[in-house]
Amino acid sequence: MKRVIMFMYMLVGFSTAWAQTKASDKEWAAVVDAAKKEGKVVVAGSPDPVMRNDVIPKFTARFGIPVEFVAGRSSQIVSRVQTERGSGIYSIDIYLAGPDTSANELYNDKLIDPLKPLIVMPEVADGSKWKTGKVWFADPQEQFIARAFSGVATWLFINTDHVKPEEVRHVKDLLNPKWRGKISTEDPTTTGAGANMAARLYYQVGEEYVKNLYVDQKTVRTRERRQMTDWLARGTQPICLNCREDDVRPLVKKEGFKILEIFEISGVPSTINGSPWMLSLANKAPHPKAAQVFANWILSKEGLETYARGYGSATLRTDIDESFLNPGNVPKKGVKYFDDTEWKWIVTGRHENRDKVWQLLKAR
Amino acid sequence: MKSPSATLSLPRFRLHLRPIRMAEVGFLVFLAVVMGLPLLFLLSGSFNLAAPGKPAVYGFGNWQRAFTDPGTLSALWMSFLLSVVRLIPAMILSVMFAWLIARTDMPGGRFIESACWIAYFVPDFPLVLAWILLLDPNFGFLNSLAKSLPFVEGPIFNPYGFWGIVWVHTSTGGIWFKVMLLVPVFRRLGATLEEAARVAGANTTAMLWRITLPVLSPMILAVAVLSFIRGLQSFNTELLLGTPVGIYVYSTKIYDYLQREPRAYGEATALGSVFLFVLAILLFFYWRYLSGNKKFTVVTGQGYSTLQVKLGRWRYAALAGCLLYVAVMMLLPLAFLVIGSFMRRYGFFNIASPFTLNHWYNLLADPIFLVALKNSLIIASVTAIGGILLYSALAYLLVSRRTITAPVLESLCWVPHVLPGILLSLGVLWLFLATPLRFFLYGTVWGIAFALILADSPVTTQLFKAGLLQLGADLEESARVSGASWAYAYRRILLPLLAPIAAAVGLMNFGSALTSISTPVLLYSHQSRPLAILLLEYSFTGELERAAALGLLITLIIGSMMLIARKLGLQLSRSD
Repeated sequence: MKRVIMFMYMLVGFSTAWAQTKASDKEWAAVVDAAKKEGKVVVAGSPDPVMRNDVIPKFTARFGIPVEFVAGRSSQIVSRVQTERGSGIYSIDIYLAGPDTSANELYNDKLIDPLKPLIVMPEVADGSKWKTGKVWFADPQEQFIARAFSGVATWLFINTDHVKPEEVRHVKDLLNPKWRGKISTEDPTTTGAGANMAARLYYQVGEEYVKNLYVDQKTVRTRERRQMTDWLARGTQPICLNCREDDVRPLVKKEGFKILEIFEISGVPSTINGSPWMLSLANKAPHPKAAQVFANWILSKEGLETYARGYGSATLRTDIDESFLNPGNVPKKGVKYFDDTEWKWIVTGRHENRDKVWQLLKAR
Repeated sequence: MKSPSATLSLPRFRLHLRPIRMAEVGFLVFLAVVMGLPLLFLLSGSFNLAAPGKPAVYGFGNWQRAFTDPGTLSALWMSFLLSVVRLIPAMILSVMFAWLIARTDMPGGRFIESACWIAYFVPDFPLVLAWILLLDPNFGFLNSLAKSLPFVEGPIFNPYGFWGIVWVHTSTGGIWFKVMLLVPVFRRLGATLEEAARVAGANTTAMLWRITLPVLSPMILAVAVLSFIRGLQSFNTELLLGTPVGIYVYSTKIYDYLQREPRAYGEATALGSVFLFVLAILLFFYWRYLSGNKKFTVVTGQGYSTLQVKLGRWRYAALAGCLLYVAVMMLLPLAFLVIGSFMRRYGFFNIASPFTLNHWYNLLADPIFLVALKNSLIIASVTAIGGILLYSALAYLLVSRRTITAPVLESLCWVPHVLPGILLSLGVLWLFLATPLRFFLYGTVWGIAFALILADSPVTTQLFKAGLLQLGADLEESARVSGASWAYAYRRILLPLLAPIAAAVGLMNFGSALTSISTPVLLYSHQSRPLAILLLEYSFTGELERAAALGLLITLIIGSMMLIARKLGLQLSRSD
């Protein structure tokens, strides 16, 4: 009798799951049909070769829906959107923006709609496909801003022809007079990665350290990321604080430069972040169904893997093979990381500490 | 020697009062809407303290914040210093170049002029990088060469710093722009005065100093004003060569506010207003100079000739000097840029098999490229033709001296020159969205062309104005006395005389439209994306080699157009 009851339970459970899958498949198919009728989807984001060369062609091939990609700096895109909206024009469907823009502008200025209820693609809605047990929404209501990536951020890059890895094991090793004028950073006196890192160091290590590193060590500043990467490769400034992984990796893989990416350093917790983008859905989107299809697809295995492989960043999906990544980039279980994309830090902490850095560096 | 002004008179073009009033009112309304409104939007926006999208709250907070920023005054001083230091030698050199090209028998003048045009339109970002490759104290090519000399220890060149910035500016835009503007007006100068001076016993230097320069002073001054403000707004070179050694300029401050999140356009506009202030001062003195007793007409109906000054044996020395300058300041970095577009990594000669065709292949295979090319050609053509038609008419109106609102019209024309490009773009965006223009201009190639025509107004109007100031009214009067209609006289007399200037203006606007980034950046859509935005995208994503290839391609297009425009301009000027 027990066996029969168990069998019946299993049967009911299986049928319900099967019926749900069928229902969500049907719902998804209906959304895709409606999206095709809308004709296109407009996505705003950073100018990005991965987006242009890989993601958009794949999406269009899959669904037959053309993507109009409005590429530009976040500040410019948001200005444009705000001005358009003042005149009743709504041109953007999807934002792929950095955490700062997503939280402090798109969310704060109420330019986006809840995305969570629109997650219907079965493999995206399925919690087992996510390391966090579900799609991670970073905003306080857990509705608006989806975070698809979480990788360990590079702490610094060194050119091992000039710097031995053991010479920079502790955060204070960077204050060694030997490295005076040999460290490059993105200019910490303006918004961007350089200021974000300085703010984090101010918060984690303290004011004195920031002063020692950025002033006394004569850290060389630039606002041009290519310049930093070239300095690193040539050894002019063989330690780079803010070089970008996607700039440096080709130098190592294709050109054979001896550059080491360092993810962990003693004296400060390692950092994870949601780079390269967070996903949100524009409110009053002109192509709502196409936007829904794009949002679901970019969070799917195919969409996210395409991006992750092109960009080289760790996703939050469980079904993406991560062997293409630098092992250091993948968060380790049991390690406590500082989350640079954590909501409170983005909205208040980073700004407060950045202002203190600017005062210290006499930038403001 | 008698002053040239004694024999010449200011032009008085004979338009009937009613048509001129109608044209005046028409231009006034048009310029007030398209130039004044965006400025008004920006200025009123700078007093709005509310967050974007929130109800407006007005106050002085943005202005106070912008001007109490500890770095603002030092950055302004640095910009001023850099602008002045590079303006003086560049003006002297460009006047010399223009005179040698247009007024003397120096051989190869056409080649030198073409080189100036091409040099001006080479994108400056990769060119600055080329200078870094040449002058960097650690790996610079010229420093490496110098080190091999017995008496040299350590690097002798360093691009990072004040003088490095001045040097590189002299290469990237220093004299090319000025020569482009000055050559057509130097060419228009009738030789009668110079011949008279010669007869009176003046040597070449005295003739240049006492005749040529005073007569051409309106244009020289206009170019100086344009260049000075342009210098204050300069940004890219300072970013690459100044930031590493802690040199910040005023435009960097404006840029910082524009890049902030949330955006700080109020503070940026407040800082940008300094340009308006500087312009107002410069224009005041410029108008006072023009409205004095000086007269600048050099092309009259009586015995107009353009005989060239004979330099004798010095002509080859002059050519050698010009060629040396062009070779060092243009060809040397340009060669690095060309090579860079074929390198796997720009400037890295020591990697295995450093050369490749991939960047060119990837550029031409990029599906966006062809669409962007088509868009750019449409935008540039419309901008060039539209600018010629609009601003030649406006300049004619201003020079006729029968308008009562000339200072207002002229001030409005200067507005785009004092607004940082991105703010102009924002102003035009507001204009489009607040008016019915949005229905047919917003997001289209026509809208971008419209904005670029506005952006071109200061240079274009000044060039036409200077050209018209040189023409005597008797030319037109003779035609009218002979029974020709105004339109016929305009077509048969003025237009052929203005053709070289129109060709220069058209080409300059064509080139600017192809290379301008900041003006279309808020106005383009997916369908209307021009090449310059594609170039920005490549640079933004670190694809410098592909950006270099695209930059060279744009320069090639401009070079081809230059040949066509020059031919057209010369044919028109000879047709009479």
